[in-house]
Amino acid sequence: MSELIFQALYSGLLVGGVYALIALGLALTFGTMRVINLAHGELVLLAAYMAYVVESRLQLNPVFAIPLAVLVACTCSALVYLLVDRIRKNRELNSLMLTFAIGIVITNAVLLIFSGDVRSTGSPLLQDAIQLGPLFSMKSELGAFVVSLVLVLVLWQWLSRSWYGRAVRAVSSNRDAAKLMGINPARTELISFIVAGALAACAGVALYSSSVVHPALGHALTVKAFIITVLAGVGSVPGVLAAALLLGVTEAMTVTLWSSALQELVGMVLFLVVLLVLPNGLFGSAKRRG
Amino acid sequence: MTTLKIAAATLTLAAAFGNARAEEFTVGVPIPLTGAMARSGTGMYEGIQTAAEMFNKSNAKHKIKLIAVDDESNPAKAVSAVEKLASQGVVALVGGFGSNIIGPASDAANKLNLVYMTAGGVDNDLTKRGYKSFFRINNTQGYERAVTTLFAEQGVKSVSIIYSTKEATADLAKDMEKALTPKGVKVTLHAFDPAITDFKPIINKIKLQDKPEVILMSAYENDYVGIIRAAKVLKPEVKSIVGVWSLATTKMAKEFPDLMPNIIGTSLLPSPVDFKQPEGKAFGDAYKKMFNKEVDYLAQFGYVKAQLLFEAIARAADNGSLKKGGLADELRKTNKDTLIGRVQFDANGDNLNFRHRMGQHQGGKIVIVSPKDEATGPIVWPGLPW
Repeated sequence: MSELIFQALYSGLLVGGVYALIALGLALTFGTMRVINLAHGELVLLAAYMAYVVESRLQLNPVFAIPLAVLVACTCSALVYLLVDRIRKNRELNSLMLTFAIGIVITNAVLLIFSGDVRSTGSPLLQDAIQLGPLFSMKSELGAFVVSLVLVLVLWQWLSRSWYGRAVRAVSSNRDAAKLMGINPARTELISFIVAGALAACAGVALYSSSVVHPALGHALTVKAFIITVLAGVGSVPGVLAAALLLGVTEAMTVTLWSSALQELVGMVLFLVVLLVLPNGLFGSAKRRG
Repeated sequence: MTTLKIAAATLTLAAAFGNARAEEFTVGVPIPLTGAMARSGTGMYEGIQTAAEMFNKSNAKHKIKLIAVDDESNPAKAVSAVEKLASQGVVALVGGFGSNIIGPASDAANKLNLVYMTAGGVDNDLTKRGYKSFFRINNTQGYERAVTTLFAEQGVKSVSIIYSTKEATADLAKDMEKALTPKGVKVTLHAFDPAITDFKPIINKIKLQDKPEVILMSAYENDYVGIIRAAKVLKPEVKSIVGVWSLATTKMAKEFPDLMPNIIGTSLLPSPVDFKQPEGKAFGDAYKKMFNKEVDYLAQFGYVKAQLLFEAIARAADNGSLKKGGLADELRKTNKDTLIGRVQFDANGDNLNFRHRMGQHQGGKIVIVSPKDEATGPIVWPGLPW
């Protein structure tokens, strides 16, 4: 039994790492602009398809797709921002509808270009098993977990140490006060979206390398990212990692100790319980931390 | 006098030409071309288009015109698609994919007295409704028979079934359990939510607790990849990994060459395709000409269901019953050898004779390995991708 539990914990942590990677970009834009980018999952998906293009057309390892994926996802993310920025009334609600529509457009564009087939890497370097004592995983899962940890750390440091990071936090706290301090809010928000695009690109390549992708996946990714963002507490970067790992481990333990059919349900119950007990999420507070 | 003769000849020719003009019937195709079922829907639609093309070429008296509406893999939109097509005056509907989509869509068709012909929904409940207007050429029993035959031939004593909680896959898994348990086969079931992507915890339970001879997957393409990949990492000591639809295909062999070797799934034909009948060869040629690729099982199902429907429409038009709601009765008289075997419908519109075969991925090809009397090559057993 202990062998089962340890493997479940390990698998849950690794899956949680990928979840964190997917949720980071959404958490950034939600935290800074109060805009729930419902096209975020589709940006991740787009990046995953860039990895597919690089692997299938250029016969390169999907990891080499990161520059192309970053370029495509950042451009799309910037375009999303430019459209959201045109909303003059009730931005929080109208941006929901706008980004949802953008998500549908991206999904259908992916479907038209790449067809509805299931895609995943065939690279043995990424797919082969790696054994740590009694624990098994794919090399790509372990890689994605490490990348996730690094990106959380980098983003956290960027937000708390760099001038632009501080500007992003200032705009998120009080847009008008930030303006008075000489910060250009529009530019700062655009930067947030571009950084979110870059994070989505890394998530997409990781997803393609460790799992399967198909055009209908984007919406499910957005929902998962949104749950983690809210679970973490709006604006908390380390919280995203903690919430993602908690969700991943909870899901894996549900499969092992209970039933795999209940995995998603238990995740949602966890989400509701945390919100009931801690309405600001696990790491959110009235006065937000970094 | 000459003028009169010319006029008479012109009138005769005009009358003759008028009579020779083929009668055109519009058939609606509500089908998922986008969304989660897009690949399957597109494959089926290609087969339907090929059937229409071949029917129109070979039939001087009747012509079929198709109007397709994308149901976006969404049950509510599938109902709207049926209603929209009915308002456009279609004589019947052919299409649909996914039991949860076909259910409400065929409900709507039944209310509108429109025949609904499908090959994309195998859920048992679909034919339990007793609709006179509903017909399908495949069913869970056909898949179940194919898998149980394989297991009997290989003397399998224990199976772990991993199944998606979707209707068709769950139905098949439970039917398999019912069929195998009385035969002394130890069966353990593992349901999973269609949203999950990491199958390692399930495979680990199978490896450490169930320890079966065979893992059976009742799922879809993306699940198969996740399950086999997890199995490749954890390497449970099984003799074979078996699945059902969408697994023993050339597309899977091409897309996932590292995962597919020795994997077994349902398959009507070996690959490369080897049609024995002239009709099959004609279909293969027409399909290749239209879509520039080899026939797959989706196109084959799409072709057969559409072909049977078009022929029934022609018969009903000839005997004058089409406009009086006689198409369903005409379809019920079907008794024909097709590319998927003999098709006959029972009172609920289910194909009485549907029976699948099992194909194994061997060296990038699909070899039919069960039933033994229809095998095109020997089975690799035990046989795993690693």
